[in-house]
Amino acid sequence: MNNPVITARKLIKEYGKGAALVRALRGVDLDIQRGSFTCIVGPSGHGKSTLMHLLGGLDHPTSGTVTIDGQEISRLDNKKLADLRARKIGFVFQFFNLLQSLTARENIETALMLAGVSEKDQKKRSQELLDIVGLGDKADAKPCQLSGGQQQRVAIARALANGPLVLLMDEPTGNLDSEAEADVMKVLMDLNRQGKTIIFVTHSNEIASKADNILYVRDGYIQLPPELRKAS
Amino acid sequence: MTPSKLVFKSLTRRKGRFVFTLLGIMVGMASFVTFMALGGSLKSQIERESAALGANLVVTPKGSCAYEQVSILTGEQLPTNITKDEVAAIRSIEGMQAIPYLAERSAIDNRPVSVMGILPEETKTFKSWTLAQGDYFLEEYSDGAVVGSVLAEQFGLTPGSDVRIRGTEIKVLGVLQETGGKDDLTVFLSLPVAQQLYDQKDLVSYVAVRVDRLDEVELYANKIKDKVALGVVSDKQMRSSVLSIVGTVNMTLQMIAAVAILAAAFGIVNTMMTATYERKREIGILQAMGATRNGVFRLFLFESGIYGLFGGLGGAVLGGLAAVFATPLISQNAATSFVKGSQNSLDPVMFVGAILFSTLVAMIAGLYPAIKASKLSPVEAISYE
Repeated sequence: MNNPVITARKLIKEYGKGAALVRALRGVDLDIQRGSFTCIVGPSGHGKSTLMHLLGGLDHPTSGTVTIDGQEISRLDNKKLADLRARKIGFVFQFFNLLQSLTARENIETALMLAGVSEKDQKKRSQELLDIVGLGDKADAKPCQLSGGQQQRVAIARALANGPLVLLMDEPTGNLDSEAEADVMKVLMDLNRQGKTIIFVTHSNEIASKADNILYVRDGYIQLPPELRKAS
Repeated sequence: MTPSKLVFKSLTRRKGRFVFTLLGIMVGMASFVTFMALGGSLKSQIERESAALGANLVVTPKGSCAYEQVSILTGEQLPTNITKDEVAAIRSIEGMQAIPYLAERSAIDNRPVSVMGILPEETKTFKSWTLAQGDYFLEEYSDGAVVGSVLAEQFGLTPGSDVRIRGTEIKVLGVLQETGGKDDLTVFLSLPVAQQLYDQKDLVSYVAVRVDRLDEVELYANKIKDKVALGVVSDKQMRSSVLSIVGTVNMTLQMIAAVAILAAAFGIVNTMMTATYERKREIGILQAMGATRNGVFRLFLFESGIYGLFGGLGGAVLGGLAAVFATPLISQNAATSFVKGSQNSLDPVMFVGAILFSTLVAMIAGLYPAIKASKLSPVEAISYE
């Protein structure tokens, strides 16, 4: 299998200057294969989220390149990056991050609106997506009326709205109980089986064990996981 | 979903804040509209009174200032020092009609009213008056009074009833037809009676002059000046000097309203800045979903504009109502002669203009918060807790 949807080369991200300089990523190379389920693991504060932000075009690297579906994105301007996020990337975050003033359906419709989908098509597509995540009957519920697991499934439906090439998920089950986590993981594994590329930042070994590929991020580098390092 | 729906949902999420911010701009705009209407009312009333005077020239005591000119139009008391001989000299000039007036004040039921001493027949013709009730003065020395229609209504005066002027009971002879001007609020007495009552023997306050040929107004002004050492002012000069006073008053009122609007605009800045901080994460989510910086900027600016639009609409309605209901009361206390005609200054152009102005002010106020929101980096916004 050598069909990467995302590649990163010599990816460096630094914040601040002088004594306050933080090297979040110190030279990352990776390939994310199309249709794969990749987990990014590692201790907190070692660059996992920064890596996800760069892979998803939420931020510019200090140096190095990120290529998505053959398009080098690290030097794209903000407008083109926004367009890329609207059409090719679906983000899901730990704290659900639904717009609280909107219903489940409206949250999904907003993502569709940003990609230029007509109002009529928004309605149809949002219902389909809610059905996919098993919340077809919760379309008109506000986030505060939904459980954590349900909110995260709405977030997944919203991330899927514009048929992204890849789902980028930053600890999406980190705030859920076991039952809700199982529900969310079932949805995600189904999507992955249907060919959706998923990059999943997690601290959970159980989730990582389901991945095709594990990237262990430590001190701003991708390293071998500790258990493999001990063995070698 | 559309951007406008998204904006409405965001605005109405915090209903209390939305309503109070809206009230701020509504109050500002309401005061602005009220003052504009009041100013417009004063202006139109001045113009109407000037026309109702029916004169091209007004002869005033020497050294009269603009205030006295206002008084001629409003029916206020005036210094009375134009003599009988001076009036005769003016009236001897051919090619024009000169009508003397004695402008005084009195109180009926503790409310100030204008009292005018007139030459009954000449004034009636000069002003084209008609009677609504009763009779007119039978002769130049008639003892009775003729009253304006609004005054008659206010004090329940009818032909035959008595009106007390300076402690003297005077019989009401008749009531004039409504003129739409200060004459509606005036008690008219024959000139000799008024002079006697106010102890102004052979003196008048001003003389209104109508020349036969409009293109010779200037010429007749000079003729009058040659005959008597009095001030002569044309109706146009008088109107413009009075309007300039009214303009200054209007400007002051509008400055007060502008301060109210400015305060409301800062209210919007405050609300929108708070929204920017509170909704940092939301901005990040939108950016993660593909919203551009420009898109975020427009959403925030649109929100500010909505405050202005609704605040302006509410303010214009409130201000309009205040102008209709409160302005006559304000006018009644300040100068009774402005009672009438205060209600037709609600200009639709001003109404729409006020709404547009309010929207513009709100959008300008929202500019800085919108720029701040749009400049947030997606990572900073999404990581905000």
